[in-house]
Order: sequence, then C-alpha cells, then structure tokens
Amino acid sequence: MAEQAAVIGIGQTRYSSKRGDVSIAGLVREAAQAALTDAELTWADIDAVVLGKAPDMFEGVIMPECYLVDALGGHGKPMLRVHTAGSVGGSTAVVAASHVQSGTFQRVLAVTFEKQSESNAMWALSNPQPFSVHLNAGAGGYFAPIIREYIRRSGAPADVGIKVAVKDRRQGARNPLSHLQLPDITEEEVAQSMMLWDPIRFLEACPSSDGACAMVIASEALSKVAPRKPAWIRGAAMRSEPTMYAGRDEVDPRAGRDCAADVYAQAGVTDPRRDLDCAEVYVPFSWYEPMWLENLGFADTGQGWKLTLEGATALDGGDIPWNCSGGVLSSNPIGASGMIRFAEAARQVRGDAGDHQVEGARLALGHAYGGGAQFFAMWIVGTEK
Amino acid sequence: MSQADVLSQSFELGFTYTRSVGPVVGRFLPAMKQRQILGIRGSDGRVLVPPVEFDPVSAEALSEFVPVASEGTVASWSWVYHPRDSHPLAHPFAWAFILLDGADTPLLHCVDARSPEVLHTGVRVIARWVDEPCGHIRDIRCFTPVPEVADG
Repeated sequence: MAEQAAVIGIGQTRYSSKRGDVSIAGLVREAAQAALTDAELTWADIDAVVLGKAPDMFEGVIMPECYLVDALGGHGKPMLRVHTAGSVGGSTAVVAASHVQSGTFQRVLAVTFEKQSESNAMWALSNPQPFSVHLNAGAGGYFAPIIREYIRRSGAPADVGIKVAVKDRRQGARNPLSHLQLPDITEEEVAQSMMLWDPIRFLEACPSSDGACAMVIASEALSKVAPRKPAWIRGAAMRSEPTMYAGRDEVDPRAGRDCAADVYAQAGVTDPRRDLDCAEVYVPFSWYEPMWLENLGFADTGQGWKLTLEGATALDGGDIPWNCSGGVLSSNPIGASGMIRFAEAARQVRGDAGDHQVEGARLALGHAYGGGAQFFAMWIVGTEK
Repeated sequence: MSQADVLSQSFELGFTYTRSVGPVVGRFLPAMKQRQILGIRGSDGRVLVPPVEFDPVSAEALSEFVPVASEGTVASWSWVYHPRDSHPLAHPFAWAFILLDGADTPLLHCVDARSPEVLHTGVRVIARWVDEPCGHIRDIRCFTPVPEVADG
C-alpha cells in the first residue's frame, strides 16, 4: 500500500449481557462517539464510515446499515457494510485501513457491534433446512469435533482448555469493560461446569454480550498531528477458504497460516513469539488458544498446548501474553469481537491498556476468524511506522 | 415409465427476537397512551415526526421533544383497493404521508375515507384514537378527513 495509516481513536462500550437502555443505534453510537472523543474529532472530520456486524439473522434487522446511517454520521458520505461472519470485526478494521492506505480517504470511522440480548445467535447459526437433520448445535457444536481432533493429534493433556478459561477470565477481570468479571475463578469451577458441547464445558465457552467497538483510522499526515499516540498499522491481511472441501484441515486451516505469513511479512516479523510483545487472538472456546498458537506459528504443530501450560501466554510472567483484555472468552458481542482484538492490540502499543497493559509493548497482533474457521483477518500494529 | 417425482418440502423458518427501543422511541410510544403525538426538534429547527435519535443534518443526538397536533394535511397517498387480512382496515382505505400541524416531516398512517376521490394533497385529516390506547402506533386507529367548513 502506498500510504501509511494509524489508529488515532478507539471507543468501546462496556460489555454486558443486556443493554436494554439503548436501541441498536444508541449502542453503536456510544462506541463511535467514544472513538471520536478519543481522537478529539467531530462527525464532520470523518470522510467515510465502515460498519461490520455478524449475520443479520442474529437480531433480525435486515441490512441494519440502512437505518444506522444517521447514528454514525453517514449522511453525504460513503458508507460500507462488511460481512464475514465472526471475523467481521477484524475484516471491518482491515477494510477501513485499506480505505486510508489506498490514499482515497484521510480519516475513516470503523464501527462494529452485536446486541445479543435482542438476538438469537444459537438458532441463527443452526437453522433447520429441508431434507436435513436439525442438530441445533450452534457454534460450539460445530467446533467441538474439531477440538476433539486437535486433542487426539497433539496428545494434549485434558486440562489445557481449563487453564485457558481461567487465564482469560482472570485477565478479563483486570479490564473494566469486560463482560465477565471473574477474578477468583478456579480450575475446579471450570472443570465442574456443565459439559455443553463435549469436550467444551460451559465455562470454556464465550458469553453472549451486547456491545460495540469503534476506531478512527487516519492517514500518516493526520496521525502525526493526532492528540494521542497513534498505533501504526504495520501489516493487514485477510484470507478465506470454503467451509468444506476434500482434504481441508479444519484443525489447522491453510487460510489462517497464509494470512499470518502475509501479515508477518508486511511487518517484518520472522519469529512471532520473539518479535511480537503480545497478541489479541480470537479464542471463543478455550482450546482455540493452543490451536491458534500453532496455526499462527507461535509454536510448532502439536506443541501449542505446551506454551499454555508453561504460562508463556499469561499476562503475568509470560513472554508472549495472549488476550490480556480477557479475550472473546470474557466478552463476546460477536460482530464486534474481532474488532475488539484489533483495538486492544492498538491499545497495547499506545500504552493505553490500563491494568492489562503489557509493559513496554511495541508490536502487537490482532486476529479474528469466522464462519467455519474459514475467514481470517489479522493486523499488526506498532509504536513505530 | 413414469417420471420421477421431484422432491420438495415445505419449510418454515421462524425466530424469536427482543427489541429495546431506546430513549427516543421509548418516549414516543408511552405518549401515545396519553393520546399525545411527539416530535423532536432537529438542529435546523425542524420538528421531526416520528422522533429520531440522531439529527439527519448534524448527526448530533436529539432530545428536545415537541408535542404536535393530532390533525394535519395529507402530503401523498396510495389507495388500497383490495385490503388483505393483515391490513388495518377491512374496507378500502389509503396509506398516507400526513403532515401533522406543528410537524415538518410527515407521518405514515392509514386514512379511512369513503373513496379515493376524497383524497388529494392538502386534504385535512384527524386522528381517530382507539378506546384503550396501550402505547403503540396503532393507538391511532386511523385518520379520517375533516369535514370542510362552509365559508361564512
């Protein structure tokens, strides 16, 4: 890309199970306004708006971008909807970044949301079809056999997922925006929680959250004069593959590996565990931490679980902390979840992450995946251009 | 040899949802219960009916509610010759944009008129409220033409 771009404003709502006090418009507005305030900008300073959310069937508002134009100050400006299932939060950030990197726009507002209290995601993700058995299994039911296969291949001990579930919730308790606030959660509690989608227990699964996340992404010239420290976008990439094809490796998807290789090459990362200071990775079910550690090249195939057990991915004492914000396991407004990863990576390199800050973080990865682990979006942000 | 049956199966997809209306519609609807129609003032001074959360010009959040009349004029309309079960009236009627007195944007509602000839842009109509309003747009059963007052 010809132009440099940076994140100059970040806004998030607090994540919770139900925001009955606001409409969908009011919810997205809160995050967007917070991002503008963070960047000390007004609606008039924005050249284009990019909106992302998970499938419309979730809330049953078809094409919500039509009605959200006024809430997002989109009058008279280009406004674009991005749609890549659960990875949409990440894709929306990548699209907004490319709007600026192409030189077409100077300041772009990127916004994502989900209002799960108004929706029925479980049903929308597994709607009945003619001539088919209806499993009504949701996302957990889809990913459970893939996790089972990872455990079989890697020989990982049974408690790896439990350890991830505890780590991410304890880290989430240091993030005041986090939906789940479980500072004292124990491995025993997780182990004893209901088996939802064997081998995924209730406390090894993400919550259902209401919330929105927004960012202002600006050109090099405008980022340099931004009031607060910019998070420079050092690389951004997306890759896709079909849900099913002969020979597809669902445990270690090729699209994820290719996407990581692309974003690392852009950012000059050759050894992600060594070169990056932290990562915000889409882990909606606990076992996806060791699986993505391998897919993203932080560990060799079959070895990811060892990093988790060693504590390498913990905010306290780990050399490559993952999901310091608490991750998807602590807050999951689906359409926004990917962007929260990207925004939290940016907060780390801005030195703006409060009690979950990684001391001196200079380079961070944001990651999102969606669909049947088939859409991937990633970016690397840094303190330097 | 008989032709093979082509398989088909009826398929109904139904979901249940919840809505939170937010602070603006959340005030508009309860006011209907008092037979009061509320608009909201935009940054350019216009009174927008029904009220919207965010200004169409400046994008700022709006909060100045303005009561408007239950009577106004028809801006445009479409006559429904053959009402179906889901329509608000069992006999032919009009869907109409109605500019209520005190409002600057029209409200969509139905007009119960004897025939399409009665309707024209500018015809005066008045809201007919249901006996027991509950905080819903259908608390206005319909609008009806106001009889023209003879000169003198």
